[in-house]
This record gives sequence, C-alpha cells and structure tokens, in this order.
Amino acid sequence: MKRLIPLFLLLTFSCSKPLDPNVQKLGTTEVTAQLTEVPAGPFPSNDLYNYAYVFRYKVLHVHRGKIDGDTIFVGQYNPLKARAKAEDQDSGKVGGDVEQFRAGDIHRLALEAPLDQQWMGGIVDKYFNIKGTRYWAIWTAKAN
Amino acid sequence: MKFHLFLLSSVLLAAPLATEVHNKGWILFSAQTEKGDWDLFVMRPDGSERRNITNTPNASEIGGRYSPDGKRILFRRIPQTVVIRHDKWGALGQLTFANPDGSGAVAYGGNDEFPWAVWGPDGKQMATLTKTGIEIWDIAEKKIVRTLDRKGIYQQLFWSPDGKYFTGPANLFGENWTVARLNALTGEVNPVNRFQNCTADWFPDSKRVIFSSRPANQEDADAKLREAANQKPAYGWTQLFMANGDGTAVKLLYGEDGRHIYGGATSPDGVYVIFTRSPIDGITKSPMGIVRVKDGPIIGGESKALRKVHPDAHEGPVLALPEGFEPHWTYAK
Repeated sequence: MKRLIPLFLLLTFSCSKPLDPNVQKLGTTEVTAQLTEVPAGPFPSNDLYNYAYVFRYKVLHVHRGKIDGDTIFVGQYNPLKARAKAEDQDSGKVGGDVEQFRAGDIHRLALEAPLDQQWMGGIVDKYFNIKGTRYWAIWTAKAN
Repeated sequence: MKFHLFLLSSVLLAAPLATEVHNKGWILFSAQTEKGDWDLFVMRPDGSERRNITNTPNASEIGGRYSPDGKRILFRRIPQTVVIRHDKWGALGQLTFANPDGSGAVAYGGNDEFPWAVWGPDGKQMATLTKTGIEIWDIAEKKIVRTLDRKGIYQQLFWSPDGKYFTGPANLFGENWTVARLNALTGEVNPVNRFQNCTADWFPDSKRVIFSSRPANQEDADAKLREAANQKPAYGWTQLFMANGDGTAVKLLYGEDGRHIYGGATSPDGVYVIFTRSPIDGITKSPMGIVRVKDGPIIGGESKALRKVHPDAHEGPVLALPEGFEPHWTYAK
C-alpha cells in the first residue's frame, strides 16, 4: 500500500496540471521526487552572499537520465527565494514555480551533476558525511 | 572624551610607524575615482606619493598583484557595464598584465577567462580557479601545465610563495566560507579556520595564512554602529586573523567593532600587514591601515564587545591610510 501512495500522487498530478516545458528539456536528468526533510535551523540569508543549499529527496519517478538508488541530494540556489525569482547573474539558468521548500512536498526537477561543476560558490551541505552525487537543481516545479 | 583620547594616542603612536615603513617599497591597490570607476593606484606604505597608474574612465581595474620579483603586475580590467561584487571581482573582466607603473598593459584572454588568476612562485606560471578545477598555466606559452581538483575552493585563490600550497574559501565539512589549505602536489586539503572566513593570503614563509573571519555569537554592544551599517543584530564584525596552515595557532591580528576588516596582505618580509576597514560589508570606500605583526592583537576604536573577548589586545599603533581595495605590497624599487 505504501508503494502505491507516491504512484497515486504522481498520477493525480499528471492529470491535473500542464507540465512546465523547461523541466522536460533542461539538464540531463529529470525526476519527480519528494523533499523528505528540511534541516533544522533557518537558511542563511542572501543579504550579501549567494549559496546553494543541499536537500535530500526521495525519488518517486525517473523521467530522464539515470539515478542510482531512490535518495538523491540536490543543491537548490538561494533557497529563501521563490524559484521564479532565484535566477541572477551568478546562477545561470534557474527557475520553476516552487515558492518555498517544505518537507513532504513533491517536486519535478530538472537536474545536472555534479553540483560543484555547475555552481562555483558557497554550498551548505548538512549531509556532507553521506557519500553520493550532489545534483544542481536547474528547474524545480510543483508536483503536488 | 575617552574615544577622542584614543584617536589622539593612535595618531601619536602611528607616527613612528609611518616613518618606519616610508621607504619599504610600494603598495598597489584599487580605489574608486571621482568618475565612479575603479582604477589601480600605487603609494608608499605611509600613504605618500599616491598616484593613479591606469586612468581608465571607461573601465575598472581591480585585484592588482605584483609578481614575485616585483617587475610585473596582473589585475582584472572590467567593463564599466559590469557590476563589481566584492567577492566576485576575480572572475570578472579580462586578466591583464602590465608593468608596475601601469604601462604596457596587455589583455590575456577575453572577458571572464582565467578566473582568479594568481602568480606562481617563479612568476612564469599562474594558477586559475575554474568550476572544473585549478589550472596551472605557463604564462609565456599560454598552455596548461597541469590541473588539480579544487577541493571545494570557490574564489580568492592564492598560491604560496614556495609553490606547495593553495589557500582560499572552500566548501568543507558541509560548511561554506571555510578557509582551506590545499596541497598543490598531493591534493590533500585541510581547514585553516571554519565558519565565515575569506580573503586568505600567505605569509612569505608559506607556513602561515592571514585571513578575515566574522566569528559567531558576537555581542551586540553598540546598536548605533550596527544600525549605521544596516546590519542585523547577530551579524557581527569581520576581523583579521593569522594561523598556521594546519589550522593551529589562530590569533587575532586586528579588529574593530563597526568595521569589517578584509584584504589582509603582508609585507614581503612578513613584518607588517596591510588591510582594509570597511564600514559596511561588501565593496565600498574603505580606508586602509597597516600594523606590525608583532604588535598584534590590536583593537581599534572603542570596540566595547571585542575588547571583552580580547582583553589583552594592544591599542596600536595603526597607520591610517587612504581608501583602497585588495592592497598588495612589494619591496621592489
């Protein structure tokens, strides 16, 4: 039954909202994934410095590319900002319709890897002691 | 009254220091002109003989560094249309080489190429910091000699005088803004200081690093100072530190509540340190200052909070200098 819930959510979403074309064409990997947790404590401010913040996602479906396992670590650029307003002169193309990052939300993500070859700047990674590819979120669309 | 006495004593204490450093080479630095752009300037270490060596109202020059023998300089020449950010300047505009008086300037590549280029120990090579790693270039041949993983270093790269190490702010142990030391031969990396550090540079012995750090949990002892800088209560002030490359013997060199201390660079013999004193965090018009390393730790201004943390700090001397950004020092004639 547990395995059917993500599939149900996926089907519900896919029947209710037109898909953002950016998420289907950007990056080399495209997944629907659930943000499993938001680490405790506030995000650092963006008053002066830009940074990427690494989130843990549970992969529900792989649309493009190849993912090893069902957990991925994804760097989101300046997570205090809505995705539609996150892109700036440092970020390269970044966008989507997610306004804030909440544990449990499901996102459709266009990804590129490794993170540090996409973004040369500060990276906050609370999962640094867990090995695995760090992805860069290019496009992050709501999927629930 | 107490503060005025402090200022008077600072000036009196600094006079012998000014005499001491007057003939000790030249300082190369960027400063904003009346026209609004940034040019390269040189001056004696006591602030005398200051002159503009680029005079380019249609471009800005930032990040001037003398070659190890003092016979050349490199810097970034940035189009006026580009917004200059205090932590991105090394990746903007064109890498340019010139004579120390600014003559014979030659662009080396296009805009945004050779980011964070720094002199190698013999002045014949340079290192650049790219997303894919550190590239070591033969300057004359314009060829990559070798590459190595940047191990999380993401800006403000500097190469030790003995060629064995790099330093710069890095992503390490899940945190950003950790000043790291990277072994240029083995690729091993270690933190020098964690949490909110930047503008690291080498002492001439290649064993010690000078860097800026904004420690956590600073007391908000002077709300007026903070409000003047439009800072949040917990933000704190950035101070100048030194440490061994392995992260031991961390020591305050200079701090001042109400100022962010950046751009620390030693004299070629490691006896003195020049730095900038920014009233707000970011690129701005910042006066510079010089202290003797042996006199540290020194605390400037009233600095109620910082003096509680470092009760044994000295009053100076601090040689006050004109406004500047990213200063560098040569003893070459």
